[in-house]
Amino acid sequence: MLDQLINGLVVGNLYALTAVGITQIYGVANVINFAHGSIYMVGAFVGWMAVTWFGLPLLPTLGLVLAASALLGLLVERVAIRPYTGSGRTVLLLTTIAAGLILEQAAQLIWGPETKAFHAPIADVRFRVGGGFIGTLDLVILAVGLTTALVLWLFLKRSRLGWAVRATAQDREAALQMGVDVHQVSRISFAMAGALAGVSGLLVGLYYHSVYHTMGFSASLKGFTAALLGGLGNIPGAILGAYLLGTAESLAVAWLGSTWRDLVGIALLLGVLLFRPGGLFAATRALLPEPTVGTFIPIGRPLRIPRWALLAAAAAALVLPLVVRNGYWLQVLATAWIFGLLAISLNLITGTAGQISLGHAGFLALGAYASAILTTRLQLPFLLALVVSPLIAAAIGVVICYPALRLRGQYLAVATIGLGQGIALVALNWTSLTRGALGISNIAPPTLFGVEIASAAGFYWLTLLLLIGGVWVAERLSGSYLGRAFRAVREDEVAARAFGVGLERYKSIAFGLSAFIAAFAGVLLAHSYTYIAPDTFTHALSLQVLTMVVLGGLDSTMGAVVGALALIAIPESARFLAEYRFLVYGLLLLAMLRFRPRGLLSAAS
Amino acid sequence: MKVLSVRNLTKRFGGLDAVKSVSLEVGPGETVAIIGPNGAGKTTLFQLITGAERPDGGEVYLDGERIDGLPAHVIAAKGVARTFQNGRVYGNLTVLENVLLGAHSRLQAEFGRPAGPVSGALGAIREVVTALSRPARLRRLEAELVEEAMEILSLFGDRLLPRLHQPAYSLSYANRRRTELARALALRPKILLLDEPTAGMNPTETEEMTELIRRLQARGHAILLIEHKLDLVSAVAHWVVALEAGQVLVEGTPETVWADRRLVEAYVGRTGGGAPKGGTARDGDSGAAGGRHLLRTGAGAF
Amino acid sequence: MSLHRAQHARVLLAGVLTFAVVTAGCSLAPTTPSGAQGPAGAQNAAQGEVLIGVMGPLTGDNAEYGKIWRRGFDLALEEINAAGGVQGRPLNYVFEDTQSDPKQTPAVAQKFVSDPRIVAVIGDFSSPASMAASPIFQRAGLVQLGITNSHPDFTKTGDYIWSNSGSQEDDAPFLATLAVEDLGKKRLAVLHMNTDWGQTSADLFIAKAESLGAEIVLREAYLLTEKDFRPVLTKARDANPDALILISYYNDGALIAQQIDDVGLDVTVVAIGSTYSPQFIALGGEAVEGVYTATRFHPADPRPEAQEFVRKYREKYGVEPDNFVAVAYDGIKILAAVLNEVGVDRKALRDGLEKAENLQTVMYGTTAFGEDRRLRNPRYLRLVVRNGAFEIWEP
Repeated sequence: MLDQLINGLVVGNLYALTAVGITQIYGVANVINFAHGSIYMVGAFVGWMAVTWFGLPLLPTLGLVLAASALLGLLVERVAIRPYTGSGRTVLLLTTIAAGLILEQAAQLIWGPETKAFHAPIADVRFRVGGGFIGTLDLVILAVGLTTALVLWLFLKRSRLGWAVRATAQDREAALQMGVDVHQVSRISFAMAGALAGVSGLLVGLYYHSVYHTMGFSASLKGFTAALLGGLGNIPGAILGAYLLGTAESLAVAWLGSTWRDLVGIALLLGVLLFRPGGLFAATRALLPEPTVGTFIPIGRPLRIPRWALLAAAAAALVLPLVVRNGYWLQVLATAWIFGLLAISLNLITGTAGQISLGHAGFLALGAYASAILTTRLQLPFLLALVVSPLIAAAIGVVICYPALRLRGQYLAVATIGLGQGIALVALNWTSLTRGALGISNIAPPTLFGVEIASAAGFYWLTLLLLIGGVWVAERLSGSYLGRAFRAVREDEVAARAFGVGLERYKSIAFGLSAFIAAFAGVLLAHSYTYIAPDTFTHALSLQVLTMVVLGGLDSTMGAVVGALALIAIPESARFLAEYRFLVYGLLLLAMLRFRPRGLLSAAS
Repeated sequence: MKVLSVRNLTKRFGGLDAVKSVSLEVGPGETVAIIGPNGAGKTTLFQLITGAERPDGGEVYLDGERIDGLPAHVIAAKGVARTFQNGRVYGNLTVLENVLLGAHSRLQAEFGRPAGPVSGALGAIREVVTALSRPARLRRLEAELVEEAMEILSLFGDRLLPRLHQPAYSLSYANRRRTELARALALRPKILLLDEPTAGMNPTETEEMTELIRRLQARGHAILLIEHKLDLVSAVAHWVVALEAGQVLVEGTPETVWADRRLVEAYVGRTGGGAPKGGTARDGDSGAAGGRHLLRTGAGAF
Repeated sequence: MSLHRAQHARVLLAGVLTFAVVTAGCSLAPTTPSGAQGPAGAQNAAQGEVLIGVMGPLTGDNAEYGKIWRRGFDLALEEINAAGGVQGRPLNYVFEDTQSDPKQTPAVAQKFVSDPRIVAVIGDFSSPASMAASPIFQRAGLVQLGITNSHPDFTKTGDYIWSNSGSQEDDAPFLATLAVEDLGKKRLAVLHMNTDWGQTSADLFIAKAESLGAEIVLREAYLLTEKDFRPVLTKARDANPDALILISYYNDGALIAQQIDDVGLDVTVVAIGSTYSPQFIALGGEAVEGVYTATRFHPADPRPEAQEFVRKYREKYGVEPDNFVAVAYDGIKILAAVLNEVGVDRKALRDGLEKAENLQTVMYGTTAFGEDRRLRNPRYLRLVVRNGAFEIWEP
């Protein structure tokens, strides 16, 4: 038991490094920087390069990584944050995601995709603690972690610049009035956070003797959980939170099994968000203070597309397979229609009801697994599964999302990440129901009235019909008083409540409907792939769908469809770009968000 | 039967008594004004009445029915409408949509029963089905609501009607406040809670708003009003309740209250420092004269 | 309600954009081949190139495997084309990046199916990705050769789905023989990756080990992305094993090896063949000294064809080849050999694979496909890591 506690502290040590950097930047800049993990990763690679290619000793390497990562942080601020301030938080989430994507791809192009061995240019002396050992690197990391925390804390509490940083965090406008150069503050915050991220990456890379280009995501999620546990902005809290997280995880592994580690992490994340959003050490249990003025984030008025245009588009789409015989493109479009359904369902909660969701893959999984289990285990016919699965998905979706509905903005966003990952992890661990990692195979293709829908054209029509149905439902809802109520929730929760719009009720309805529609996409997916596994429903998928919705214009049903079409079709037609594809895609996204942030299908302000 | 009856309402934040044992009543068609310096607990009182905050003690009755402790949206559905100190309209929605949303609880009552915590699931499904099927009953009610909205908006002359389909964020500040008020009226409230309806308005706009409040009174609305502009209060209020440090300092008809020494002291200070323009309020010199002078000169200085 | 002109224009723009994207894509010719023969365009079809479609990860989490595959393919192509190609025509491959993502493979599968120049398909890397595409290949009658798909259900989709990858049904039990019979270990702690491959391999290993009289004192699954193995190794230590069995890839295998000492666990480590890779040693350093494994391929394999392969690979790339390279190399060679024999035709290829005897492979030596459409009679070499290299070990 003691050994497991020590193990917990050892891994918590690593989380602490990242957590300190994260808590500082998020506590100060109030924005979730999804590029954090990528800077962490690039920092590690720069360090690796310094040691392996140039043979530098540890200290100069550390300095180099600090400098390079700080520069990267500045770059991200300049390119992905500054041009977009005032565009609303959703946009910032996406620009930082795009920045992270670009960095990750660039790193892969520069250094190649393989994992790199990374051996420390320091002597490794081991000390016996309990039944195991800790080494010099553990101590180095501890020292670095504590030092940076102390330095940061002193900086923020004692220096003039630190005061300026905190003032800007409290109230940017007021700070501006007081003569604080808020741009400089922003630059400094990002440079510092970048430096911390890079150094964390370097040290963790040294610790595990390897660097690889996907090392950033999980590290930043753990770091964020630890930071939240300690309370965002609370530096000592972040360290304690990290040790707590590490210990909880180690004990979970010891008592329950290795695959429970991440579930415990997510449970802690959700738990703290729901019950102690200010962190475990916060004085009050109160939720975050409400903004004093109604927030006017310009969403843009969705374009009113006239009926005739919609009907014409539907007709053209229906007729297409008779004209275009290319099976490949029919398959691509069918995928686009499936994602269109998914995007419509996400648009309902994020665009119309204003609830940021980064875990939508979870709803897709609910529908896919429901249908797969119903047809393979209970031998239900396809049509019945198609009808029943969305009901099941909606019920489950509402139940699990209900506790999180009290949260707003970035806290809700993080909770949805947790929920999305959580669903995939449950699918992975509940082997008696889902066959765990093995997945469910031999799912029958769709069958309507005894006819198997096997051809590309047949499948195309099936997905298109369901999409058309989904569009009809979404538009109908959107134009009804229910849609209006959703928008009230989005625009101003305080006012909505004061005028009879029960928040839990209407958010639940939105989430339930969303899960319902997304489930159709899930059913289609399961029966076309004929094989699903937990890792089919990744975080990357959730981000992809969110991008589609934002691209097309929040709160625009047709916008969601166009966004889905664009993001499925364009990478396909750009296949010749192969390795550069997603780099270009990230750049495109940034440009899109810069010059047309309200999406393709919204009227200019 | 009083429309609104507040008894010994109390709210503590940490160690601070924001509202301490406050009682007041608003009868049918009456307008009661709440005044007091900043931090006196006026808005907190509104929060407690509307259910945005839970009281730590005391009761609130609406038409004899106890409402304290109920969720805010339930209280709103029972007929309590409010406007906010800094104006909270739905920015991206049009003027018309804002006003229609005032009547949301009526739509929900019609198409969304039941509304309890668990049985609400059934009500929710009903609402979804109704929204999708758009039965004649729904269309009729919506048409009625639109008519009503137009009627309410016409109360504001040509301020809002020409801007019916403009998003609220594009309106001037004064128009946003008006939209807010229109939304409150759409709720068909039993009582209107107006939190500083003329804050930030110039004298002309203030005059217009005063006129509007008079018209609402003429229609028989019960109104609970927070205001700093004592001219306005004198013009419309039947009864004034002055709060200080969370407690009722003095209450009565406007004239009684202005004459009260304690009120002047609360605003101006015991030592008499900070004399208003014209500088006649000095040590020991208060009373009716000082009070009325306060009336004439102190316009929104607090 | 009438639209403003500006809004009208925008609707039109969106519509035109969408239409343009769709029609442009529909009219695009299939992509250019990207094999070792250099940039070839549509004009090569006239020259009669024989094309194999490859779907696999060039970007994303598994990109490094795609890169390794390419090396294997390119080396094989050099040899095949130097020897006259397939039925006198040059052989080439078209690599489509799928990121090993099951959402992308169906589209690519359709693409390959619709391209008449493509006579067979290799891929994908992961089982979910491959299996999502299998129905399309089966329906269209295009051979799909899964070179790294050991999922037990993979070839069951239909008779056009084949695999030259090892089956867990052979690899795992052999490992058990190595651990229990050859090394004499009786108390086994089993650590395996929580994937379809890891689960089934662990199941098969345990079944065989127990039938040989060993006791499984611990069985733990870990996530693919796991980095910190201290807690689970501590558990293993406390179960008092005399050997630690790793069902891992080389990345996680190396990580685990490095953390074993940290928890005070000191036992023999026996790892499954996918750890056999130069990367295992590069990443693991000293920590992997003394690790035992078994592989169907090793550079020191005395068979002449294996030696040839290793020599040429080393010459061309400067490093030793690993399992992933060998299957890629074998995969193309098998297809080429059968195509050469039966002619460049999709159906003929399928029938040819079924009938083929004496296929020459690096990994299996001379072999043929069994009824389950996997290769028969795998041979194994026992290895141990000594002085920073894998050496052949005899019990």
